[in-house]
Amino acid sequence: MLNRRTILRGMSGVLAISGWVAAVPALADTYPSKPVTFIVPWPAGGSSDLTMRALAESASKHLGQPIVIENRAGASGTAGPAVMAASAKPDGYTVAQMPITVFRLPHMVKTSFDPSKDFTYILNVTGYTFGVVVKSDAKWKTFGELVADAKANPGKISYGTPGAGTSLHVTMEQIASMAGVKFTHVPFKGGAETNAAVLGGHVSAVADSTGWGSLVDAKELRLLVIWGKERSKRWPDVPTLKEAGFDLISNSPFGIAGPKGMDPKVVAKLHDAFKKGMEEPAYAEAMRKFDMEPFYMSTADYDKFARQTIEEQGKLVELLGLKKK
Amino acid sequence: MDLLNSLALGFSVALAPVNLLYCFAGVFVGTLIGVLPGIGPVAAMSLLLPATFAIPPESAIILMAGVYYGSMYGGSTTAILVNIPGEAASVVTCLDGYQMARQGRAGAALGMAAIGSFLAGTLAVVGLMLVAPTLARFALKFGPAEYFSLMVLGLSILAYLSHGSLVKAIIMAAAGLVLGLVGLDSITAIPRLTFDRMELVDGLGLVPIVMGLFGVAEILANLEQHLTREVFQRRITGLMPSRDDWRRSAGPLARGSLLGFVLGILPGGGAVISSFLSYGLEKRLSKTPERFGKGAIEGVAGPEAANNAAAGGGFIPLMTLGIPPNVVMALLLGAFIVHGLQPGPLLMIQKPDIFWGIVASMYIGNIMLLILNLPLIGMWVQVLKVPYRILFPLILLFCVIGVYTASGAIFDVYLMIGFGVIGYLMRKFGYEPAPLVLAFVLGPMLENNLRKALLLAQGDFTTFVERPISAVCLAVAALLLLSPLLPRFGARRNAIALEQS
Repeated sequence: MLNRRTILRGMSGVLAISGWVAAVPALADTYPSKPVTFIVPWPAGGSSDLTMRALAESASKHLGQPIVIENRAGASGTAGPAVMAASAKPDGYTVAQMPITVFRLPHMVKTSFDPSKDFTYILNVTGYTFGVVVKSDAKWKTFGELVADAKANPGKISYGTPGAGTSLHVTMEQIASMAGVKFTHVPFKGGAETNAAVLGGHVSAVADSTGWGSLVDAKELRLLVIWGKERSKRWPDVPTLKEAGFDLISNSPFGIAGPKGMDPKVVAKLHDAFKKGMEEPAYAEAMRKFDMEPFYMSTADYDKFARQTIEEQGKLVELLGLKKK
Repeated sequence: MDLLNSLALGFSVALAPVNLLYCFAGVFVGTLIGVLPGIGPVAAMSLLLPATFAIPPESAIILMAGVYYGSMYGGSTTAILVNIPGEAASVVTCLDGYQMARQGRAGAALGMAAIGSFLAGTLAVVGLMLVAPTLARFALKFGPAEYFSLMVLGLSILAYLSHGSLVKAIIMAAAGLVLGLVGLDSITAIPRLTFDRMELVDGLGLVPIVMGLFGVAEILANLEQHLTREVFQRRITGLMPSRDDWRRSAGPLARGSLLGFVLGILPGGGAVISSFLSYGLEKRLSKTPERFGKGAIEGVAGPEAANNAAAGGGFIPLMTLGIPPNVVMALLLGAFIVHGLQPGPLLMIQKPDIFWGIVASMYIGNIMLLILNLPLIGMWVQVLKVPYRILFPLILLFCVIGVYTASGAIFDVYLMIGFGVIGYLMRKFGYEPAPLVLAFVLGPMLENNLRKALLLAQGDFTTFVERPISAVCLAVAALLLLSPLLPRFGARRNAIALEQS
C-alpha cells in the first residue's frame, strides 16, 4: 500500500516536472492570456487603494489584459501579501502591492510568510511624502530649532505619529538617536487624529504623510522638513532631512511582487507593463493628488533593496525594543 | 459673502436636476443598505466610490454623503421590526423599538425613529452651517486626557444600560474589554492575545462581532420558538406617534440631537457611541427607568436622534479642518481628494459652490428621507415581510456578504458565526450583549488615551483633574457611580431589579 502510493507519488512528480518543463516556454510566450489579479492590502477607497487603481488601469493598457484589484486589508498591510504567499500560483496571474510593513512585521510578530523567501520581487513604484509639522504659531521655525530644543529639554518635546512601529515612528527615533536627543513619542490611531492633536496643542509636532497638506497651505500648520530625497514640488521652500543635517531618506516605498518561483520572462512582462503604466498621465495625476512620488527600481534593484530593507528593519525594530521574543 | 447668499448659492447647486437625482440615489441606496442587515455604509460607500469617478465632484460627494445619512434612517427599520441592527448605530434601537413592535406599536416606533432622525439630521445641518468653524476649534481642545475622561463617563453609563443583574453586565463588559485588547498594543506595537495568528494582529472587527451577537444570535433564538409572526401579520398603522409619545420624546430628541452632534465632531466619537450614550442618559434621567427595555419610546427617540446628529456633526471637522473623525468620513476624504478637492480650512473660501452645495443637499436629502421612510415605509417593510423560512436564510446571507465585503477576510465570517453561537448562549442565560459591544469599542480607546495622556504629562495623574473638560466628565462619572449608595437612587435601582427578577 505504502509502496504503491510512494511509487505513484514519484511518478506523478516526474510527470509534473516534465509537464512543467514543457509548458514553461508556452506559458511565458502566451502570457498574459487572462486578467491579472492585483492584491491591494488596504481597504477600497483609501489613498493607497486609489493610486494603485490608477496604476492598475494604466498598466493594463500595456499588458493587454485587465488588471483586477482585490482588496485584502489587515495585519498592517501584510494580510494581502500573506494570502498570496500561502495560496497563489507563481504563474503571473496574481501579484500584490508590498508595503514596507512586509519587511518589518516579521521581526515583530510571528508571520505566516518570510519576506526573504516567499516572494518574487518585480519592481518598486512609489514612495510617500512624509514630513514634520508644528502649529503655525509655534516657536520653532526650523527642524534644527526643534531638535535643539529637545536637546536642551530632554523628553519635553512630544511628537505624534499615526501609530507605533510605523515608518514615521521608526524614522523619528532614528533622528533622535543620530542627534543624541530624546523625544516623547505619542502614537495616535491613523492620520486624522494627529492633525487634531497638533492643532489643539496636545503634542509639539507631528510626523505624518501629507494629510496635513491643506492645513499647511492655510497657514494653520508649519511644515519644517520633508523626508524625501528631493524637495517636494508642492512646498519647494521646505528643506529635506538631508539639508537639515540628517542623512536619511524615509518614504515608505511601495513595490509589486508575486509569489516565489515566477518565470523571469513573465516577471519581465509584468515589469515592463507597470513601468510604462507609471509613465501614464492618469497615474502621474493620481500621484500628484495624494502627494506621492514616483520611486522606480528595476527588478534586480528592487530585489536587492528588499533584502537590504529586511535586514535594516530588523535592526530598527531591535532599536525600538519591538523585536519578537 | 453672507450666510443667506451662501445658502442661496448652495441651493442653486443642490437643486440642479442632476444633483437632485444623485441626492435621491444616495439616500435611496443608503436606506436600502440600512434596512439590510450586514451591509453597512462603509462597505457600500467603498463599493460606490469608483463608480463616481466619472461625475462632477459635487455630485459625487452629494451621492456618497446621502448614502451615509440615509443608512442611519434605514438601520432603525430593521432594528424595530426584526430586532437586528440594520447597521451598528442601531444596536440600541433594538432594545426598545422591537419591544414596541411586539406590543403592536411598530408604527409609532418607526414614525418616531424617522421623525427623530429628520429633526436631528436637520439640526445637525444647521449646526454645520452656522457654527462649523467655531465648533471644530472646540473639538481640538479634546486631547488624550479629555478623551480618557469622556470614555470613563461612557463606561460608567454602561452600568445603567443593561437591565437586570449588574454583575452580569460587569461580566459582559469585562469580556468586551478583553476582546478589545486583541491585536498590536496601540502604544508600543507589541502583540497581545494574538496567539501567533496573523488574523488577530489588527484585532477583532466590530462588524463581525455586532452581526454575530445581534444578527445570527437573533435568528438562532427565533428558530427554536414556535413562530407566531406576531409583527408582520399586522399592517403597520399609526405611524404618527400619539400626543403622549411626543410628550415623552421631546426631551430625548433634544438631548439626543445635541449629544450626537457634539460627539460626532470629536475624532473617534460618532454614531455608534452617541446612540449608546443617549440611551444610557435617557434611562438615567427617566422617572420610570423600569420601562426601558420594555418598549419605552424615549429609548427609540433619543438614540435615533443621536446617531443622525452624529452623522451630520461628523462633516464639521472634515469640511472645516480636513480631519475625518471616523471611518466613513475618511472614505469621504478620499472621495474629495480623488476629485481634486482638498477638504480643509480653504474649501469654504476657494470652492464655496461645492461646500454650500453639499450643505444644501443635506437639507434636501433629509426631506427626501422623511418621505422615503414615512409614507413609503410599507415598501421597506415589504423587504422584511418575506416569510421567515425565506427571510432568515436571506438575513444570514446578507450578514455573511456584509461581513465579507467589509474586510475581504473569510476569518471575519467565522468570527461572526462564532459570536452568533456565543450570543445565542448569552441570550439563553440572560446576559445582555450591549455592554460587551460598548466595552469592546470604548475599552481600547480608554486605554490608548490614558497612556497617551500619561506620556504627555510625564506620568503625572493630576493632569486628569487639572484640565477642566476632563474634570467635569470625571465628576459626572463619579456621581453616577456613587448614586446607588444614596438612599433615593438606591430605592429606584432596587425597584428596577425587582421588576426584572
